[in-house]
Amino acid sequence: MRPSFFHHLHPPTIPAKQARFRYTLAAGGLAVFLMLVLLVTGILEMFYYIPTPAEAGNSIQTLTFLVPYGGLVRNLHYWSAQFLIIVSIVHLLRVILTGAYAPPRQLNYLLGMGLLVLAILLDFTGYVLRWDEGIRWALVTGTNLVKSIPLIGNALYTMLVGGTQPGPATLIRFYGWHIFGMTLAAGILVAWHSFRVRRDGGIAVPPPPLREDQTRITRFELLRREILAMLLASTALLLLSVFAPAPLAAPITASAPASEMARAPWFFLWVQQMLKLGNPFLWGVVVPLAVLVLFSLIPYIFPKPVKPELGRWFPKSNRIAQALALLILLSIITLTLLALLPAS
Amino acid sequence: MRRYFLLVASFSLLLGLLITAWQESRHPKPIALTPTLTGQVEYCLTCHADLAEISSSHPVNTFGCVLCHGGELLALDANLAHSTMRGGKNPSDFSVVLASCGGTNCHSGTAENSRNHIQRVTTSIQATYAGAIANIRYTFGVQPDLKAVLGEFAIRVPESTSGITELAAFNPTQETNPFVQAFGHNCLTCHLSALPLTGSEYIRYTGCSACHTPTQSPDRTDTEKLQSNQIHKLTTAIIYTQCDTCHNRGNYNLRTMTFEPRQDLPIDRLHDYYQPIAQFTSCEWMLDCVDCHTRTEAMGDGNLYSVKKDIQYLQCKTCHGTLTDLPQTRTLTDPNDLAFRLVLLNPVIDLNLGDTLLITEKDEPLWNIRVLPDGTYELFGKADGQRYVFRPVKGSACLQDPDRQDSGSCHECHSVER
Repeated sequence: MRPSFFHHLHPPTIPAKQARFRYTLAAGGLAVFLMLVLLVTGILEMFYYIPTPAEAGNSIQTLTFLVPYGGLVRNLHYWSAQFLIIVSIVHLLRVILTGAYAPPRQLNYLLGMGLLVLAILLDFTGYVLRWDEGIRWALVTGTNLVKSIPLIGNALYTMLVGGTQPGPATLIRFYGWHIFGMTLAAGILVAWHSFRVRRDGGIAVPPPPLREDQTRITRFELLRREILAMLLASTALLLLSVFAPAPLAAPITASAPASEMARAPWFFLWVQQMLKLGNPFLWGVVVPLAVLVLFSLIPYIFPKPVKPELGRWFPKSNRIAQALALLILLSIITLTLLALLPAS
Repeated sequence: MRRYFLLVASFSLLLGLLITAWQESRHPKPIALTPTLTGQVEYCLTCHADLAEISSSHPVNTFGCVLCHGGELLALDANLAHSTMRGGKNPSDFSVVLASCGGTNCHSGTAENSRNHIQRVTTSIQATYAGAIANIRYTFGVQPDLKAVLGEFAIRVPESTSGITELAAFNPTQETNPFVQAFGHNCLTCHLSALPLTGSEYIRYTGCSACHTPTQSPDRTDTEKLQSNQIHKLTTAIIYTQCDTCHNRGNYNLRTMTFEPRQDLPIDRLHDYYQPIAQFTSCEWMLDCVDCHTRTEAMGDGNLYSVKKDIQYLQCKTCHGTLTDLPQTRTLTDPNDLAFRLVLLNPVIDLNLGDTLLITEKDEPLWNIRVLPDGTYELFGKADGQRYVFRPVKGSACLQDPDRQDSGSCHECHSVER
């Protein structure tokens, strides 16, 4: 069989052992697939969404309830976005716990970190675009965090919000960032990240003489596995979209009092929980940024994974990085669960 | 084996698509309505198409649902659609009534005081309960006289001509006298903002709907409908049973400072009703309360009062006159006369220009009572439309003392045997 365009996107063969699901967790591939779903559903949503405070909520309600299959499109966009964050984190963990960021892959590791940050920012801006009572608290708190930054906080806030408080300028800015700025940046980074995977020699494996298993699979088999993952992921997305619709609340009105049961979106619950400790700049800005910086520095400041140990889980050579990543993840999960507990 | 995986996954996706299509087909077909007053399309009728029109004055094609009830006009998800409704099922609750029923084209803020129903009713003693509160506080020595100073809610009416221009909110927990506290906790179940007592005979809404939404029927048989608490109707044809959700439902026990509800459910109006009064005339049990008592009496005149007597002014002579004078009348010459507006809301009588109506001492039209050519009067029941004919006192052998018009005096001769 002559390779098709899609086959040509893949290397002719890759090592069989590292192509298994139990090694990759299919996380990187699923992230690309989810981004494609997000792109297509996002474009469809743009035909109906009106980015003004007065119309945003109503236009989403129109799309959700009155446009045939509009609700499905919105739910698919929502669930793909949630899963994108999850699979991105799984992908990051897989890379750390297999030591796959070893040279020469440090740059690509940073590109991946950039993509994770973009996924989170895209998720947050998309969440704000609902412009309903459900997002009000997070919008006000999130933007106020920017203000808490010394020296440049107020200027940054004005740039971000476009005034002294969230309003029409904020919505159009978040919309612009969401559909254009961040999406463009994410597109470029995805292309670059994928290019670097190929340029850095494909999936991380030990040098050929040190490999226990020399078997390889072809690009035909690889594509077949990718299709399998996409079919299963599509089914999961569809079923979730049908039975667990994306949240939606009443549009923000000036008169309505802010909800008492205010919660950040799930991926920022850990930050919300830390904010209860006091100092918003420290807990809301410094600590999350420190976590990000720490993760980004993993390929540079900790003992590097050694080549013979590549291509398998939990190599001994980078145990410190593994322990650190798991510790931080565990802390974030604990904080998230604490935030979900009902206030006593 | 792997081909088999792919096949299973393909089938699972196909199944997912079929489920998606099936779910989509189960969604109700949206029913759009663009009310002429708002011009904004709303989809409430998708689920509520079977709801009866609330009144002839509020046709759904003109008002829609959202103008009065609030809510999300585009949402087809019940939770979201109902999340912003005003006052839950009852937008006429006083906490939200201005937003729901108010406005210069509606029931507040007009130059014409008689149409400012919301302002008037919130000053009425049925809303403030100021008289009962003042009475109890005076009785237990908390205040020096019977003049109302506290109401169910704080209200200021600088233009009030009654001598009371403001009431502070009555807060039982701030009272020092235990009896007044107990009164506050146990007895405030009947003002217009209070939730009713439990029991089908008490079922009513709050706010305007306490009176204008008929939750009680005279035969007391429609209990299922009552208990479902979903009566979508506004009316000025208020049956006496609606008044009975508060009035005539029991007594205050001043010793224990509790409200003791009647244990019986009155069915026979002649023999069961009107406690604790022992005597009454036939019009007191045959007519509905609203046939005599005017809207000013029930809903206030915009002034704050201390006791019912200050606002309830109708007497026997209002309709029957005295030995020397006939009751006051007005011949309808103005097509904009208030009487025509009121009869439009409840057309039990066919009023025409040139008809002569009885009016009250305060010039309120008794629009359901017309003077007949032979000098008698015809009254049409506002709730049941029934016609009654009655005579004036003048020219009769009545022993009436014009200055003694309390019901006790008239009951001496005109009470009905029970």
